[in-house]
Amino acid sequence: MNQHLQQAGVKLLNALSRHADLIMQVYLSGSLDESQHSPKVIDNLCQLGILWRPESDTQLRLKSAVRNLLEGSLHDERNRQIDANIGSALASLKTLAQHYKEALHHSRYAESEAHLSDLTEHVYALTESLSNNVRVLFSRINNEFGYVSSIDAKIRENELAQSQVSELLKQLEMFRFDELSEQAGSNRELRHLMVVTLQHSFSKVIQELSIVQARLLELIGRFREFKGRTQLLKGFLLHLEHKPDFKPGNYTSLSKVPMLFNHAAALIKPAAVDVHRLEHEQDLQHLVGMIKAFNRSNLRAQPERAAQNIQVEQQSAAQFAEDKLRLAVEAYFCQVIDSGQRLTALDYHQQHELEFDPEVWIYQVVGGYQALGMEEQSYFALDTSGEPHPIYTGNYIIRDVELGLR
Amino acid sequence: MITEQGRILELLLSGAFVCQISDEEAWRYLKTSGNSDKVETQLNVLNRTLATASDGDVFFAAYQSLYDNERKHLGSQFQEISSHLMPLVEWLLLVQQANGSDVPVTQGSAIRLNEIQTVIEDTPAFAEQLEKISRNRLFGSTSTQLDGQLKQVFSRLTQLGYLLKPNAEKQIFIATGKIEYLYDVLKFIDETEALSLTEQAENAVQQGSLL
Repeated sequence: MNQHLQQAGVKLLNALSRHADLIMQVYLSGSLDESQHSPKVIDNLCQLGILWRPESDTQLRLKSAVRNLLEGSLHDERNRQIDANIGSALASLKTLAQHYKEALHHSRYAESEAHLSDLTEHVYALTESLSNNVRVLFSRINNEFGYVSSIDAKIRENELAQSQVSELLKQLEMFRFDELSEQAGSNRELRHLMVVTLQHSFSKVIQELSIVQARLLELIGRFREFKGRTQLLKGFLLHLEHKPDFKPGNYTSLSKVPMLFNHAAALIKPAAVDVHRLEHEQDLQHLVGMIKAFNRSNLRAQPERAAQNIQVEQQSAAQFAEDKLRLAVEAYFCQVIDSGQRLTALDYHQQHELEFDPEVWIYQVVGGYQALGMEEQSYFALDTSGEPHPIYTGNYIIRDVELGLR
Repeated sequence: MITEQGRILELLLSGAFVCQISDEEAWRYLKTSGNSDKVETQLNVLNRTLATASDGDVFFAAYQSLYDNERKHLGSQFQEISSHLMPLVEWLLLVQQANGSDVPVTQGSAIRLNEIQTVIEDTPAFAEQLEKISRNRLFGSTSTQLDGQLKQVFSRLTQLGYLLKPNAEKQIFIATGKIEYLYDVLKFIDETEALSLTEQAENAVQQGSLL
């Protein structure tokens, strides 16, 4: 018999896993579209008690046991059912306890074992269903009945949840621990199951339920306020529609102006940071830090910056002046080569009565020398004459340069 | 260095509404009973007093005693508020409907401009409504584009202190306590003028002729 039961169970579970897609589809859509699946599979699932047909002309649906399993394991918030039938559960517990005690009394130990395990199962099932109920309530509160959109529906859902809580509390009153402990007597196992375990779960559930109740009341208060506000807004617009010339009386001309309309004029006007005040520096920096950098300039068209014709002649003249300086340096270099004599730049400047500024001239000579190629530079020697700066060490003032051949 | 109290005094005297969203530190400071007394005495020097709205969650400075000048100011301010009511209420309802969650805009509600824009673009009725709202003198938009109208409305509301843009880079707005003040004003008008607005709305729902 046991073997057979196991085989049947394995067969059922296998069927569940083999047709998982189909079952989930039915779970989500509510009923089965028979045209999409083979009749053999459907027949098989019907026989195993996974699918059933409530009435002959309706579509196939999931058995509630399978649905409950899925809802429980998936924490699906659509599950709003609260199983509050604690009275019958307690009655079955008492019956089982009596069976167990009788079996023990007659020393039928094997039988008593079976009764005890049955009892254990029932006790844990009861505690689980209690905590499950509370969890279902909490999950609904936590998303503020998010599965319905309108405030009215939320209020209805809240009322349903409240009635479920009070029903659950009423059922919990059926726990009579004095009776249970009497039933358990002095048996250690029975005491543990029927008194300790149940009491533990009972106190936990009671505590959580009181929190649930408080939260539900709070939520309904909020929903009612939302509703009231919406109606206030809509009512105001409706009123204006009916009486477009409506104007509230001027309450500020009353001898005692309502506080609501007594809003004093701003005494402190918007201020700006004074850039010349040291104390404002931090504020100023803060303000500057908030300025965003824009690359596009926000300038208007500027006629004075419009495109113009460039006069090319002028530019070549400017180049000529520079050329004159360069040519003079070249001539100076040539004279040094021709004569083979050392000659300072300033002496040459005087000899030829050049019109350039002496300083510019020396710069140009040094520059001209530096501009030569490495090979050409090696033919010349450039000496500087001058003195170190009287105050700042490391600075050397060049008075003149002397060029010669190596 | 300015003290916290001085900073709050400055806020109040510049006509700001202090709420948890706009300035949480200042709000917490004022919520502590001893502190609000200190601020109150300092405000009294300037003929101001600390006033609250929305069950003490929004603070602002009010006149302590009223003379002609103060009355004149309050009168013109009241005219302004009452002329703003209609476009603001229309805007609140538009946002609420476009949000799809049926939850009214309250202090702390985050409004994502992009999401709202998508919904409004896809719904011609909303787009029409937005156009009407943005044309109002309060917002003064002249744009023919939905995008421009929406941006104008939101930036104007931010300017008026109804919304806050926490991140300049992102188009996310948070409603401040001034929205609660607005609800208070509506409730006040409803009660004093005996308009029974809630009943009107409820009747309209029953008659199936809701906006």
